[in-house]
Amino acid sequence: MIQLHNVSLAYQQDASALNNITLKIAKGEFVFLTGPSGAGKTSLLRLLYGALTPNRGQVLIDGQNVTRMTPSQIPLLRRSVGVVFQDFKLLQNRTVFENVAITLEVLGWGRADIGKKTMHILKQMGIESKYNLITQRLSGGEQQRVALARALVNDPKILLADEPTGNLDDANKNQILNIFKEANIRGTTVVVATHDRRLIEQSHKRLVTLNKGEIVEQVEKTTTGDDQAL
Amino acid sequence: MNKWKKQQPATIKPYKRPTLSGDGFGGRAGFFLSRALTNIRQNVFVNVVTIGTITLALLIVSLFMLIFVNLESAAENWSERVQVTVYFDRELAGPEQVSFREKISALSGVSRVSYVNREEALKRFKSRLKGQETLLEGVRPEVLPTSFEIALKRTHRDTVSVENFVKVLKRIPGITEVQYGEEWVRRFNSFLNFMRLLGALLGGFLVIAVIFIVSNTIKLTIYSRRDELEVMSLVGATRFFIKAPFLLEGLIQGTAGSVLSVTLLFGLYEAFLHNAGSFLTFNPTTSGLNFLPVEYIAGLLLAGALLGFIGSLTSLKRFITV
Repeated sequence: MIQLHNVSLAYQQDASALNNITLKIAKGEFVFLTGPSGAGKTSLLRLLYGALTPNRGQVLIDGQNVTRMTPSQIPLLRRSVGVVFQDFKLLQNRTVFENVAITLEVLGWGRADIGKKTMHILKQMGIESKYNLITQRLSGGEQQRVALARALVNDPKILLADEPTGNLDDANKNQILNIFKEANIRGTTVVVATHDRRLIEQSHKRLVTLNKGEIVEQVEKTTTGDDQAL
Repeated sequence: MNKWKKQQPATIKPYKRPTLSGDGFGGRAGFFLSRALTNIRQNVFVNVVTIGTITLALLIVSLFMLIFVNLESAAENWSERVQVTVYFDRELAGPEQVSFREKISALSGVSRVSYVNREEALKRFKSRLKGQETLLEGVRPEVLPTSFEIALKRTHRDTVSVENFVKVLKRIPGITEVQYGEEWVRRFNSFLNFMRLLGALLGGFLVIAVIFIVSNTIKLTIYSRRDELEVMSLVGATRFFIKAPFLLEGLIQGTAGSVLSVTLLFGLYEAFLHNAGSFLTFNPTTSGLNFLPVEYIAGLLLAGALLGFIGSLTSLKRFITV
């Protein structure tokens, strides 16, 4: 689903953010990216939704070469990739419903279908009762669930998350992690960048460790009893 | 049996393929328009500020235009006085008068030729010296010259054209004495050129200032909503989809601003400026200032709409970095 071949990226000439990265993520996989700050986690994610183009190497998403896409093709790529961030990036003066519906409006869906599908995903996230609240009034955990609803409402092939639990307490972290796992079970390929060791250890998933722009360690973790408890 | 078959697909596929909101250009335009109107409703303050800025900016420009247009028409009227006179020291007989008239009329730039005989000349002299008629006692028509008064077309009233015309005129045999108030013509035309230059300069600065102020105001309003632009591009909106509602919003703001400014200008005109001309004696033919001609008003409305549209377009370019 995701393939990187010898990808290098430099914001400035001397300092490279990513150095000769080769990585394959299969369809339906769940992968954690970890490493210290500045290791290149965010840069790698940005490559995957077309916000950056590498200086060298190829990035393939679902068989399509992102590095060769024209600016007008990038939006079409993003329709099959959901993204969530540590700071949620929600529209603060809009309601929960409007924040989620925007994904479907962009696709040109009709009003009735948007309503049904949006309420359905809000129900899955457990925030359907707050659909008419301004997102500013929500707690951090609730805001992240709105952001997840926005990313998942379109049933994306890939879900990318950049420190999704960075601002959340433990209870909320677990809820968010469960949502990722549920999405993964439904077939979405999930890539989560985090340096939260606890989150990684309790989920028993594949782990890719970055440092100074290079992959320093890859651990294949098999699923154990913990996951079946879900 | 039948029940089974009907229920089965519903449980497997809870959502059918979504219907699209409006097909074709019309449906899309409707969607964008409703989005733009929603945006205006949700950002009332920002929109009021933008429309107010456009209104004031265009009001200043249109006031300037109003003054300039009236000065121009006053100048046109004054230039009616640019006139060439040919003097004769004798009364011209019928056929001679006709032949001179024909020769003069054949020259380019002539709009009207009239003959002033001695009686007429005396009459004018008298009316000029009204109240002091005693001065004219003993003055008989025979002492006054007869003349042809030649009015020139608008395009031939500048200094060079008048001088050239006089040269050609003097080549007609029998014509020796020609007067055209050369000093006055020269001064009047240099004044006119100065006014036009000043007007163009001031108008140019004004227009640049207006474009600068309006585009910066729009830039700020779009800057305040850059997170919206970011989210839209994140969920896969095409550039056109992100831009269209903002462009429509700019168009609406610009049109509203220009309509308001023309309305305000008309109000100001009716209240104060309508009669201002009478004491400024700008315009000798009408009692007061004229309002802007229709084509200027149409131009202002168009300029407002364009200002809003282009202001949004250039600002969006800066903030959409897909």
